[in-house]
Amino acid sequence: MIASTDSLGWIAVLPVIAGGLAVWYALPGTRRRPQAVAGLLGVLALAGVGAYLFRGLGDRIPESVEAALFFGFSGLAIVFAGLMITARNPARSALAFAMVVLSTCGLFLLLAAPFLMAATIVIYAGAIIVTFLFVIMLSRQEGPSNADVRTREPALAAAAGFVLLATLLVGLQRVYSWRSVDAAIEHSSDLARSSHIDEGYLSPPRSVEQVAQVSPLTPKAQAFLDEMRAALERVRLGAPRGGSERGVTDHKYVQEIVHAIEGLDRYGFRQHDPDDVRQECQTIADGLQRLKAMRLGSRGFTDIVVSEHGVVKPVDGEAGDARQLPAANVSAIGRTLFSDHLLAIELAGTLLLIATVGAIAIAGTRREGRP
Amino acid sequence: MISVSHYLAVGAILFCLGLIGFLSRRNLIVMFLSAELMLQGVAINFVAFSRHHGNLHGQVFTLFVIAVAACEAGIALALFLVLYRRKHSLDVSLWQGLREPGLPITGDPEPLPPEPEEPPLPHLAPAGAIPARGEPTHA
Repeated sequence: MIASTDSLGWIAVLPVIAGGLAVWYALPGTRRRPQAVAGLLGVLALAGVGAYLFRGLGDRIPESVEAALFFGFSGLAIVFAGLMITARNPARSALAFAMVVLSTCGLFLLLAAPFLMAATIVIYAGAIIVTFLFVIMLSRQEGPSNADVRTREPALAAAAGFVLLATLLVGLQRVYSWRSVDAAIEHSSDLARSSHIDEGYLSPPRSVEQVAQVSPLTPKAQAFLDEMRAALERVRLGAPRGGSERGVTDHKYVQEIVHAIEGLDRYGFRQHDPDDVRQECQTIADGLQRLKAMRLGSRGFTDIVVSEHGVVKPVDGEAGDARQLPAANVSAIGRTLFSDHLLAIELAGTLLLIATVGAIAIAGTRREGRP
Repeated sequence: MISVSHYLAVGAILFCLGLIGFLSRRNLIVMFLSAELMLQGVAINFVAFSRHHGNLHGQVFTLFVIAVAACEAGIALALFLVLYRRKHSLDVSLWQGLREPGLPITGDPEPLPPEPEEPPLPHLAPAGAIPARGEPTHA
């Protein structure tokens, strides 16, 4: 269960709907439609995607040069991808694809992959696009053709693609959005630090004749406990589970939080015990922080039991240091390629050779002995 | 730092745009470009995870993807040339003879709209008359 005010993920779904309409409207057809409407819808969809990236995912994006470059390159890539699939002229499609490749190379550079950037520019933008333009030139035809002006089922195709996109974006949001957990951590640590617990949380102290009954939770306390349980469900996926002959057990941080929530539910809130409430809230806030750090991967796993079948395999080392990419990208890639992936690279070379032979065999029409 | 999820979102968008292009367009070249666009989206995912996990396996995998895409481009473009020589068009619907038996053929009921009239090219006046033979060119 994910506790969120935006349970349907509208921030992800709305730009997808606008983008789907824009692409459906702009796909070529026998009727000419005004392109301004498609452009307007496309701008709306882009703005929505920007809002989704800013608000819907992960932590807050810092206002840095990296963020500006990321938004610039990804915006260019998306815009030219849209132009590529909607252009009537295939030569324009090829040029738009070249722009998509160049923007992707910018993203590669931001991701610390300079060798891949150079290789992609040389191979894609250099070789493949030029070959495409040659083929377009060789197969040029006069006037409009069925291939360029008509499309097959544009509405169904756009619907299929954008339903998939909406699924992916909402899924990413569910996995990577930390807003509900952050709110829960803040809420519980506020409660733990406060010198005077709000009376709305605590059930009223029982009089002598009510001692036998269990006093009910106040609505505020119930909402607080629900929020904590939802946040725990959200972060417990990252915690490794231990295994033994008795079965799979939860990680100790998860167990601590579960105990603290149970304690609050049974005693703290019901029995009007502010000290107990503060202590349990502190436990919950600390545990949630640790589990979140573990899920984000910034905390080293030193006490993991990897297998669920009883084989204890501790993983040590500080993950924070191990997660840096090596500095010399080209030499590191070369070392990896020719040590870890030697067989694969030989196979790739063989594949290229076979493809060359195949292309010559398919396209060549000259018979032996003739010019 | 921009987290991995943002790059995953961009890769997903590129992949889905390529999917739509592949499903709906009828020009063989545009269909193939759309497939390459899907590969670009996947490549962004690989490189983003490579950064996220701090090892180079994602980048190596992207290199192999590029190699396979180059092979694919060579073979596919050779095939397109052969197909174009047979039918003198790059329309993929002309090859419906390859469909499964028992399926109806999909045709184009309405004719293509006439191409909008383009304004005529400007007619340039000749810059100078060609001198006749034997005529003295200068006094």
